[in-house]
Amino acid sequence: MQKKDFTDIGDGSSLYMEEARGQATRAPRPAQAVPSKPAAALPEAKAPEYKYIGKPTRRIDGREIVTGRAKYTQDIKLRGMLIGKILRSPHAAAEVVSIDLAPALALPGVHAALKLAEGKVRYAGQQVAAVAAVDERTAEKALALIKVEYKTLPYVVDWERAREASAPQVRDDKPNVEKINEYVRGDIEKGFAEADVVVERTYRTGFEVHHPTETHGSVASWEGDHLVVYDSTQNVHGVRDGLARALKVPAANVTVIKNYMGGGFGSKLGLNEQTVVAANLAREIGRPVKVLNARRDNAVCVGYRPSSHQTYKVGAKKDGTLVAFSLLNYASGGVGAGDDVAEPVVDVYKCPNCKVEEHTVYTNVGGSRAMRAPGHTQGAFGLESLMDELAAALDMDPLELRKKNYSTKNLGDTGLPYSTKGLDKCYELGAKAIGWERRNRRPGEGNGSGTIRRGIGVATSIWFGAGVPGTLADVVLYPDASVEVVCGTQDLGTGTRTHMAVVAAETLGLEPNDITIKIGNSDYPWAPSSGGSLTTPSVAPAVRDAALKAVERLKALAAARLEVDAGDVVMADRTFSSKGDPAKSVPFAEVYRDLRRETPFHGERSGMPRDQYAFNTFGAHFAEVEVNVETGRVRVLKYVAAQDSGRIVNKLTAESQVVGGVTQGLSAGLFEERIMDDATGNVVNPNLRDYKIATSLDIPEITPIFVDVFDPRINNLGVKGLGEPARVPSSAAIANAVYNAIGVHVREIPMTPKRVLEALKRKEAGS
Amino acid sequence: MREFKIAEPRTMDELAALLAESEEPVAMMAGGTDLIDELKSGVATAGLVVDLRTVAGLAGITPEKDGLRVGVMTRVVELAEDAVVARDYPSLKEAALSLATPQLRNVGTVGGNLCQRPRCWYYRDPQVVCRKKGGFNCFAFQGRNKYHAIFGGSGCFIVCPSDLAPALISLGAKATIGTAKGDKVVALEQFYAPPEVDVTRENVLAKGQFLKDVRVPAPKAGQRAAYVKLKERGTWDFALVSAAVAGVVNDGAFAEIAVVMGGVAPTPWRLRKAEDALRGKPVSEALVRQAAEAALKDASPMRENGFKADLVFAALKEAVMAAAA
Repeated sequence: MQKKDFTDIGDGSSLYMEEARGQATRAPRPAQAVPSKPAAALPEAKAPEYKYIGKPTRRIDGREIVTGRAKYTQDIKLRGMLIGKILRSPHAAAEVVSIDLAPALALPGVHAALKLAEGKVRYAGQQVAAVAAVDERTAEKALALIKVEYKTLPYVVDWERAREASAPQVRDDKPNVEKINEYVRGDIEKGFAEADVVVERTYRTGFEVHHPTETHGSVASWEGDHLVVYDSTQNVHGVRDGLARALKVPAANVTVIKNYMGGGFGSKLGLNEQTVVAANLAREIGRPVKVLNARRDNAVCVGYRPSSHQTYKVGAKKDGTLVAFSLLNYASGGVGAGDDVAEPVVDVYKCPNCKVEEHTVYTNVGGSRAMRAPGHTQGAFGLESLMDELAAALDMDPLELRKKNYSTKNLGDTGLPYSTKGLDKCYELGAKAIGWERRNRRPGEGNGSGTIRRGIGVATSIWFGAGVPGTLADVVLYPDASVEVVCGTQDLGTGTRTHMAVVAAETLGLEPNDITIKIGNSDYPWAPSSGGSLTTPSVAPAVRDAALKAVERLKALAAARLEVDAGDVVMADRTFSSKGDPAKSVPFAEVYRDLRRETPFHGERSGMPRDQYAFNTFGAHFAEVEVNVETGRVRVLKYVAAQDSGRIVNKLTAESQVVGGVTQGLSAGLFEERIMDDATGNVVNPNLRDYKIATSLDIPEITPIFVDVFDPRINNLGVKGLGEPARVPSSAAIANAVYNAIGVHVREIPMTPKRVLEALKRKEAGS
Repeated sequence: MREFKIAEPRTMDELAALLAESEEPVAMMAGGTDLIDELKSGVATAGLVVDLRTVAGLAGITPEKDGLRVGVMTRVVELAEDAVVARDYPSLKEAALSLATPQLRNVGTVGGNLCQRPRCWYYRDPQVVCRKKGGFNCFAFQGRNKYHAIFGGSGCFIVCPSDLAPALISLGAKATIGTAKGDKVVALEQFYAPPEVDVTRENVLAKGQFLKDVRVPAPKAGQRAAYVKLKERGTWDFALVSAAVAGVVNDGAFAEIAVVMGGVAPTPWRLRKAEDALRGKPVSEALVRQAAEAALKDASPMRENGFKADLVFAALKEAVMAAAA
């Protein structure tokens, strides 16, 4: 299987991939044998009761953020700092004949200029040259003075046209269509022969752009031979390693800092071109340089979710038992590979026979990047839409159909047992919360004949999110009784500092606000990228491990003071006391003083038995919509998201994650679509007015439900990831609700008025 | 962004003189919410930006004996919140409230909305030189045209982005054009000019002229009006199709009626065939369908905007039913 572009940069996000794909790569492999030794029965694991873990805790840095004191990369101003700007190709394909920097360098205030392109440019927006100047205006003027001679070449940006034999070849090294994934288990011919009902459908998803509120940006500064970079990144360690390679300097001489961040959604997982440009300009001039992307840059050259064109065939018995699945997918990720979307169809439902074939189609468009649940979001839309159309063909309740084919092992119940799987609870609690019994019994029937139709839909998700063993965190105790937690993770805006403080406070018998959190610096102990829903299940267990070690030391010190065995010491109310003789007690302050110097405790996130169990997150989303059949407008009225992400650390920020995931899925399901023009080779909507993101008026009441299934094997806290699970099924649940309302499946997102009206015409035409 | 000069005239005479005498391309700035974007991206390249905020007498809503006078520098929020507008011209209030976002309505002006440049994504792309910018092609015609015109496109398929214009025209508003030689009054409908007149402009303002106010006639006895805006999302969206209907209803039928649509043509689009079909007959869904079909005979949808024909019916129906109710 082909890896995505961002791993090719060699940026450490391969660790993200290892986790995210470690299990995904099972898809292309031949079916795995069930392990010879039967997995141990689940121990009677009961989650311990906690004071803070699982309860809502306000962000410890919330005040700083909302009062504007939190410093984002764009806020960084260093002494002597210059502004860098990048000139980008206006052509989708061209030979760069020459670049003349001299006129730009002659402009007063311009300190340096670089050539960035050699040979061919393959998409509009590709970097060609850069300048650094005293201010933004001067830098902009300088860009306009750079003389670039292009010889334009034939190009194709329409991915469907790119498949035609007559289309220009996008890459020199391979044809426009390339197989990226295949998988077979069982015998689908036999399966379909046994089926009573066979449904074949094609579903499409469009190009969704990450568009984080904070655009990509970097400030680079050399202090002697040491490079310090402030970067808006989801991966300080990965960017450090990538910069070291790109600039040919030792990794030990590079520090990457990210204090606060306005979102990334996967587009900031790797080393970015603008970061290398900033570092090179800064090195050449000997002064700090800041390079910020404009919104247009973010729309054309830092990735997007690739499209998909998924053709499914499913066979089932009359009672709903699935007997065969096939999937043929064409993805498009521009000059890079698109996502494989097969994981849901391969894994989610019990089905003995399954065949997958996936291709990517290259076009002259900037490469796609991982976007919040890459592949799964598209795959869930296809598979879950198919399940609803199958349910209609079987005249079955869509939820019953899903339950009928419930699996307890991965690979469609043919692989490893799930360590825990709370999807059944998600179905049960979610259905109750939405009022599932109110849905139309058959799609489009029973809800009146006016222009407004209502419907309810469901969709399922599976994702990874087990975390990365080897993640490190330090808990540092100070003799004055202050506590610091240090970890080289980063906060995308999800509340990482707070969850770390919650775990440390819980373990040390303190309050979250007592803990000083230090993150966002590649000089701190290693942590993986914040992608793949990895952060909490990687970092929280490492913090827990370090804090437990710290408690052990504190108890030993207290035991010495109290002249009892360490095993006799209990911790409560900021006091250590003897279990045997409660009169013997000593306050925290005195025990901490006995440390005599600041004392670090090293924690590590341990491994998990991956050879015996599959570790996944699950969810079931339910949406209620109303559709105006004359205007084609869809409104989501009510939404319930039931998640199995193991133990929740901070209920408040977890709920925010879910609301954010649902909002993003609603937005992608109804509005968001990057539109390419084959005539100009450009994006026609590279801004936030024409690229439409949901507004507050479009967001309904959203009810997050956590089913709190405790997994004792996954890590020392039983926590799993949540960021992506909340996004995976949301577009699909809304699409199925629309189907339930109007009796025809739109089969393509975003479900704009145009597409809804076209689907209704298809229904009228009786196809 | 190209450098430009800014002028801040104090009076309308100063303004007229400045506009008449300028040797450089002039852009008049009202609220500036969109013009600033155009200047920054390089789509607009004015040598002189004339700030209308300093000109006395251009703002304000004034009830007069034959109607309402709305100065061009009246902010959209003021129009939306005005008690007389709410009482006598509810469709105008609805149009004002449907426009942009609260933040933009607080800064954007009536004149700015009436004179806003098109939102066509080819026009707005600084790398594209289309007919409107002096080039030879309309890129939308062969290209991506989901949001473009189904009526009246003639070598340029922009749509008029204004919400206020359809409502005002349906109410019979007139526009006052200020010039160095005195005022000129035209029907607001005649203020707009289709691409075949001058593809680089959307209205009749000649060099040295400026829009001064709009005057809405006093409501007739039995006057009913409605404005319906169909868009893709809840707010901050230009109309896919909008419909302004105004008229006099007697016994369930429109004795008089005006139907003007936004989002469908390069100018606010008067649907005279629909008016003829609706006039004098009892309002019903079937009648509205006939009216829409009559109007749509003039439509020439392109590859991606055929759905707007369906929306013409949907918007017309909603507006006619609301006005007749």
